[in-house]
Amino acid sequence: MNKLKLIINDYLSFPKYILMHPFDGYDEFKTEKKGKLSVALVYIALFALLRILTYQYESFLINERNPMMINNLQEIFVVGLLVILFVTANWSVTTLMEGKGKFKEILMVTGYALFPVIIIGYPALFISNFLTLDEMAFYTLAMGIAYFLTGWMLFMGILNIHQYGLLKTIMAFIATAVSMMVMMFLGLLFFDVIQQIIAFISAIIEELGLRR
Amino acid sequence: MKLFTLISLIFTLPINFSIIRYNYSYYGEVIHSAPGLSYAQTFSDRTLGVDLVSPEDLVVFENEIFVISSGSNALAVVNDNFALEHYFKDFLISEDYRDYLFETVADLEDTFNLYKLEILDGIQTAGNEATTSIDDLEFLANDRKTFFNDQVDQMIDGNLALANQNYVPTQLGQLLTTTNSGITTIYNEAKAENEATRVDLDLDATKPIPVLELVTTVERSEVLNFLEPLTLNTPMGLDVAHTGIYIADTNNNRIVKLNHHFEVIDIFQEIDDITFDELDFMPLKVTTDSTGRMYVVARDVFEGIIELDTDGSFNRFTGVNPITLSPIDIFNRFWMSDAQIDKLPKFLPTSYTNVTMSEENFIYATSLASTNNSDNMIQLINPKGVDVLIRNGYHVPKGDIHFVEGMNNYVVDGPSRLVDVAIYKDGIYTVLDAKRSRLFTYDAEGNLLYINGEAGQQLDKFTSGVALDYFGDNLLVLDKDLRTVVVYEHTEFGQTVNEAIYHHERGEFEQAARLWEEVLVLNTNYEVAYNGIGKYYLRKGDYETAMEYFKYGYDKYYYSRAYKSYRNQLIKENFGYIFLAILALPTAFIVYKQIRKRKDSIK
Repeated sequence: MNKLKLIINDYLSFPKYILMHPFDGYDEFKTEKKGKLSVALVYIALFALLRILTYQYESFLINERNPMMINNLQEIFVVGLLVILFVTANWSVTTLMEGKGKFKEILMVTGYALFPVIIIGYPALFISNFLTLDEMAFYTLAMGIAYFLTGWMLFMGILNIHQYGLLKTIMAFIATAVSMMVMMFLGLLFFDVIQQIIAFISAIIEELGLRR
Repeated sequence: MKLFTLISLIFTLPINFSIIRYNYSYYGEVIHSAPGLSYAQTFSDRTLGVDLVSPEDLVVFENEIFVISSGSNALAVVNDNFALEHYFKDFLISEDYRDYLFETVADLEDTFNLYKLEILDGIQTAGNEATTSIDDLEFLANDRKTFFNDQVDQMIDGNLALANQNYVPTQLGQLLTTTNSGITTIYNEAKAENEATRVDLDLDATKPIPVLELVTTVERSEVLNFLEPLTLNTPMGLDVAHTGIYIADTNNNRIVKLNHHFEVIDIFQEIDDITFDELDFMPLKVTTDSTGRMYVVARDVFEGIIELDTDGSFNRFTGVNPITLSPIDIFNRFWMSDAQIDKLPKFLPTSYTNVTMSEENFIYATSLASTNNSDNMIQLINPKGVDVLIRNGYHVPKGDIHFVEGMNNYVVDGPSRLVDVAIYKDGIYTVLDAKRSRLFTYDAEGNLLYINGEAGQQLDKFTSGVALDYFGDNLLVLDKDLRTVVVYEHTEFGQTVNEAIYHHERGEFEQAARLWEEVLVLNTNYEVAYNGIGKYYLRKGDYETAMEYFKYGYDKYYYSRAYKSYRNQLIKENFGYIFLAILALPTAFIVYKQIRKRKDSIK
């Protein structure tokens, strides 16, 4: 019973507290180490699962995706990659911008920020199957609010753990976006070059094999 | 092995040569589908036996097929047995239009009357001349003289009568020459008889044989050219309505209106609009509404379709193709100075390629795709000038949805190039894609019903389609290069689909549903059919089945309606339980809390 209470506290009460009182909440999160990495990772995993479920089980009336084209691995990788990219980019940017947050803290903030999407998204997804086309506006509204709150929590989290001002946080976010793009570009470049090198090496091996 | 390959090749041959069988699914995938049209027969300028070099337009009007040829400048009319009925290269001026010309063109009537008088006079003098010459013949018996004179009189009277009725200056001039040659023949006969008589009587001529004086041609004034039969110069467009036949005489910069006896009743040349101060009016396609207003697509005119009143005066431009700028374009333009913007390539609305009037006086128009928007390629322009085409199908009606983009040397790329629309009954219409030689048939809701055709040199295919029209239940496609009209008839599948839509349009959902079931037997991939069946079940009140069918057919609007009714039904049936739950659960909760409280207080 006690354990259950602990879990509820960790997974629901504390994130709710952060959402409602972002400054106090993130202060406890950082200084009193109330935030837990496991919770963050679970939320990230739940978000990936939500995306998969949304793809497949969102109400027929609003789902424009072809159920034949679902690719679970792709959905998981997209979420994972985005989180890793964001965290790395933010960490690298804020380190230069005198941010006080650690890598682990940024990752945890990102995970906790997904709380509204998880808490609203799953019930909304379920209820969407019982709505008509006119009532579907409520579903879109709920999801809109959820994503807005997620953005809010992420913003406040980054602001608090780095102990930034408002303007500096906005700057940090812009810089993060830019560095994410740079990283993606480098990644693509790297893949392309590696691919060519592999092709080159395999061609050499093939050639050697033929000439032997 | 070789034998086996050959035999298998023979078996697959019909498949290899058959028409493309595909359709687009809801998710935009290319899926196998039965074709709605199949080849029935063909006729060409060879079977008709006339010249039709590069025919440009084809129109069906009351069991007759009108084909206009821009190379031969000719209009051919083909009857329902696909045999030639009329073939015209020039068109006489009708009486009314002649009167109009006499009124409007200065000196024309006087000159013409003078000319005619001179011709009549000439014929009369020629006759008199011949009579005197015959009378002067020395040896001819008197009764023979009267005989020949009668002949001359007869001919002269005949020609005079012809000349009196005739209003074509050249023909009048020719009448003079025929008169001359006629009397010469008669006179030569008379002369020969005269000579024979002389030889018979063995006499010498005392006076010379009179030489027949012929009337020389009468001088002809330039003004009279107005009355000559009209010839065409590269006509590109044609429309036939009960008000008349309209020909877009492109290189003569005019629209010629004929009556149904193929006589010119009007010519529309001057367009009173500022656009045409610098630009030649080159009409390409023309269509008319029931009152005779003309809607013209002209070359290099980007303002829209030109609307001309029945008397040819300019009304307005209707149906303008909107330009859409991409966000990047807008962003770029935001930063640029006016001088820089001037240097950019101009964003011109795409021009229309064809217009066809429906029975309700709405214009079906096809246009080219602009660089970043191909959704307006088919438009239904209402009398107000607004595009009201219903695009409720899975995809916007625009021909092929998937195509290779960008430069490519190996396959045909880019969106379809739609060049003509043909309207069938119940709002079904077919568009012709000239780029890939395909026919796309849509219903009034914008559902893609079936796709047909493939470029090819075989008899049942066409390579450069320019026009199409429905001829009864058959579809005619005009091929410009092969000068052939390919006749397509509906397949069993196509016919069933059309019948189902016919019943559906009239609200006879039960018959429609039965036909849609048949369609599904013929073509299991046909998603549109499920909606038709679904609507029947929705009417019947079987909401659960209706939902199932709408789900197969991806009709979200009707699915939602069926679902709403289904949900209401469920709630009504189980209202007791639901109400009980609503009452019981909170009560139970409150009771539980109270018990807990009491227990705590007892402790």
